[in-house]
Amino acid sequence: MNRRLKNYLSVGIFAFFGGGLRAYLNLIWSQIGTLTANIIGCFLLAFFTYFFVEYREGRDWLVTGLSTGFVGSFTTFSSFNLDTLKQLESGMNSQATIYFFSSIFIGFLFAYLGMLVGKRTGRKLA
Amino acid sequence: MITVLTAGFGAIWGAILRYGITNYGKKHWSEKFPYATLLINLTGAFLLGFIFSRKFSPFIYALIGTGVLGGYTTFSTLNVELLSHWRDRNYSVFTPYALLSYGGGLILIFLGYKIGTLI
Repeated sequence: MNRRLKNYLSVGIFAFFGGGLRAYLNLIWSQIGTLTANIIGCFLLAFFTYFFVEYREGRDWLVTGLSTGFVGSFTTFSSFNLDTLKQLESGMNSQATIYFFSSIFIGFLFAYLGMLVGKRTGRKLA
Repeated sequence: MITVLTAGFGAIWGAILRYGITNYGKKHWSEKFPYATLLINLTGAFLLGFIFSRKFSPFIYALIGTGVLGGYTTFSTLNVELLSHWRDRNYSVFTPYALLSYGGGLILIFLGYKIGTLI
């Protein structure tokens, strides 16, 4: 199969599971579900990105599907903003502020951790 | 269960669009700044604000809001890109990218929401 088509297909199929899983977390935990998906997703994407820098044997379609497809769709920027907006609109200003800034800082921290673990694991297996 | 499947189905198309724009950006736009992700996240935030304000049925919201726009925008790519510029001490990209994404996202979702309630 054409390499490009294969990557697009892989992104689509993996995105189905990433988006579905996020919707499930949102269904059971509401805004905390979105926050959880975003934080875990930051860890996972950094992990995959830096893991595959060290471990070069990953197949292109699989790496793209996992990172761009699954994790990319598992996390969401738009719902993160909407959750903040909903809290502000209902007058919960301090809650909105906490939600907004903790998403930003914890997300970045978890991306950093994902990078450390990913690099180490990749080096071990490479 | 139907919500989860519907959102998953929507996410397929959102993610494919995101991947397409990112690939296009890699070819045609400057590599120094992550314009593609910024464009995706800001347009996605605007559209979600708009969709949310129109009070569609839960099914349409799960499909378009949670699914397509949720899969189109991405929080993880933004953070991994920020991390990479931060590690390179490339603050002339890191700072505007963080401010434009987080500040712009909030402004644009409000804008989408307000426009949606007015029309």
